[in-house]
Amino acid sequence: MISEREAAKYPFLSEAARLVDMLDLTLDDLAEPVHAKVLDRAEGRVSEAILKGKASANLGDSLTELLSFPVANMFITALGERFLDRRYALSEAVRAYELLNDESEARVAKMARTEFQWDLRLVRELLDGRLYRFELHFNDFLGNAAAFREPKWKLVNRLMRDGYVLLTNPETTRLLQEEIRRRIGGLISKHRGLRLPEPLQARVDRLGRTFEENRSSITGGDLPTDVLVEGFPPCMRYAFEGLMAGRRAGHMERFALTSFLINAGMDIDEIVKLFVSVTDFDEQFTRYQIEHIAGLRGGRTRYTPPSCSTLRTHGVCHNPDSLCKRVKHPLSYYRIKIQDIRGKQEDKPAE
Amino acid sequence: MVEQDWGSVQFVAEQFRRYYALNVSSVEAPSEIRQREFGFLSFEDRGMFRHKGFDDAQHLRHYLVDYAPSHTYYSSAYYEAPEAAMEFKGWQGADLVFDIDADHFSIPCQEDHDRWRCRTCGEEGTGHPPESCPGCGKAAFIEENWLCPQCLEAAKYEAQKLLDILIQDFGFTPSRELTVNFSGNRGYHVHVRSASVKKLNQLARREIVDYIMGTGINAEFQGFNQGLRGGRYISLQEGWRGRSVRALYDFIADASPEVVEDLGLGKAAARKLLKNRETILGLLMERRPRNVVKYVDLKSIGMLMEVAVQEQAAAIDTVVTTDIHRLIRLPNTLHGKSGWLTQEVPIDDLADYDPLSSAVAFTGGTLNIHIKRAPEIFIAGETYGPFEDERTELPMAHAMFLLCRKAAKVAS
Ligand code: SF4
Ligand SMILES: [Zn+2]
Ligand SMILES: [Zn+2]
Repeated sequence: MISEREAAKYPFLSEAARLVDMLDLTLDDLAEPVHAKVLDRAEGRVSEAILKGKASANLGDSLTELLSFPVANMFITALGERFLDRRYALSEAVRAYELLNDESEARVAKMARTEFQWDLRLVRELLDGRLYRFELHFNDFLGNAAAFREPKWKLVNRLMRDGYVLLTNPETTRLLQEEIRRRIGGLISKHRGLRLPEPLQARVDRLGRTFEENRSSITGGDLPTDVLVEGFPPCMRYAFEGLMAGRRAGHMERFALTSFLINAGMDIDEIVKLFVSVTDFDEQFTRYQIEHIAGLRGGRTRYTPPSCSTLRTHGVCHNPDSLCKRVKHPLSYYRIKIQDIRGKQEDKPAE
Repeated sequence: MVEQDWGSVQFVAEQFRRYYALNVSSVEAPSEIRQREFGFLSFEDRGMFRHKGFDDAQHLRHYLVDYAPSHTYYSSAYYEAPEAAMEFKGWQGADLVFDIDADHFSIPCQEDHDRWRCRTCGEEGTGHPPESCPGCGKAAFIEENWLCPQCLEAAKYEAQKLLDILIQDFGFTPSRELTVNFSGNRGYHVHVRSASVKKLNQLARREIVDYIMGTGINAEFQGFNQGLRGGRYISLQEGWRGRSVRALYDFIADASPEVVEDLGLGKAAARKLLKNRETILGLLMERRPRNVVKYVDLKSIGMLMEVAVQEQAAAIDTVVTTDIHRLIRLPNTLHGKSGWLTQEVPIDDLADYDPLSSAVAFTGGTLNIHIKRAPEIFIAGETYGPFEDERTELPMAHAMFLLCRKAAKVAS
């Protein structure tokens, strides 16, 4: 069995979870004053995620550090903010990454192999002044690195032989961070909007307020200047606001919104940033899809949003207004509305 | 219609029917057939009939005998319910598939046998169609694509380069995990079937495509970095490390001053490169790429490398590999545009494999046909043509090929 201290460092490990299970604490137990420390620390983890994007490691009191992790997961689940889920998982994964960087190669390898089933071998090769300590099967490498954008993570720029990619120690822990982020994301994505006993719920509500206060600064709330949201047709406004609020959108709605934003003149990079900041889609894949819709890839056709009638069929048409009656396409709505808005601005008397 | 259509569809369909009646036992079920989707094209030209599933080889063969399709495909993907509509199929994984088609590269022989005609103004030319019509500026063309031993050799060469990368760099085991099929027309398909690739998502497959094509290769990570010292760097030959240096060597050794100037390196860099050509080649030969940076700046090396690696990379169709729902031709079935077989080629035999004798399905006897127009046709060691609006008697293989290409009709 794993030691309490190890479990406190890496509470997402299955053995750590088993340790917690053995303590057999109920929600009501946690509400008892003796466990206030655990609740404090759990709240601390979540607010660190909100405010800094990175949780600290308080290993002085192992048991509190360990128990606060499942409680923090519960807080996140109760908060039910998709955007925060992602930020929290990353925050905890970065915490683990920093701890892993102080571990021996053998410890790193053990976690990668037993917890995440990586096909990983220890090596020692000095090449180009870099010390390579691991060889990882390309399958596990791509599973984690394919989303990274820097050239050094492209497979073509790696040293690969016989299916194995050479990695330095920090590179390996960086890939593990990605794996851990997904693991934690999986731990919190179930049972939304759960209601907790009062002393716990009070903390959740407090965290909710902290999140609201910081929502715009961390969700990249500032909007592009050249796209006028006021000109959006109701359906696109609904989709856009839903996206910002972290509501899960269907494929049709996402496609319609993306192609609408592209055709309305929003910059691809900004769309990617927007989508990545508010969803848990990984950046490179999002970019790939958006570039595809923009006609920069594949068939090179630039897609336009579907017509109103198609959107209606797929339930994407929401709250149509009087202007909707005059148009058959969300883009025509936008063009007319924009002219109206611009016209009014010009009509204003000069100061 | 009074006059029979070019291609004599009825006749060809009947030949396909007979072929399947006699030879269907050679068609094997792909692995995990119950998880595969099948798709077919028929001679009646009603579009793709897909979302079809089979329990075993027997049912599949019955289908081929009953319908004798003009083209037969199966999914590289594995589904829970292959017959369900796309969104309900339940994707479980997919083989990693590569498509090499001579149509995607430029080879001199295409100037001899391929033609295009502008749909708008009727302007004509040879080879691949231009970006836009020199006559009217529009970009809609009717293409007439043929093939010859050179195209097929070129495609095979690309397939061999691809196999080298898959075996050496990715470590796939030939035969057990890797199979090669002649496509039945102008190219080859390479299939990787292994647990390690089955679950790869599109993003990961795209990285593999980039690797194979050398896309995004960066000189800094191929040893051309002066900042890093220490350890082994001289003898490294594996993967792109070795390939990129060889590519650069070949390119610099062969490049004429004009070619170098056209790269956009900038005058000074180009001059320096040409002046120090021998020294640079020496350094590359000794595999001291790091020292090359003294003579050519890293940025220029990057530009050179981007062009140079094309020769070492394999020309695969990027869309096919990244599409995880792709339908691909089933081996030992007929290709409706050639009358040849899609055929598995043992990897060890690939070097000597000649599709123009091995994959020809219709042989024996002769046929009287009326040919609209065709270049020289070389099949199974016999050459006929070129033809221009003429009636002639040809061996069955040549006649069927021209009919499948819709360049002839059976003479009454
Ligand atoms: S009518 Fe068209 S533009 Fe208006 S809300 Fe519906 S889909 Fe959008
Ligand atoms: Zn023209
Ligand atoms: Zn040719």
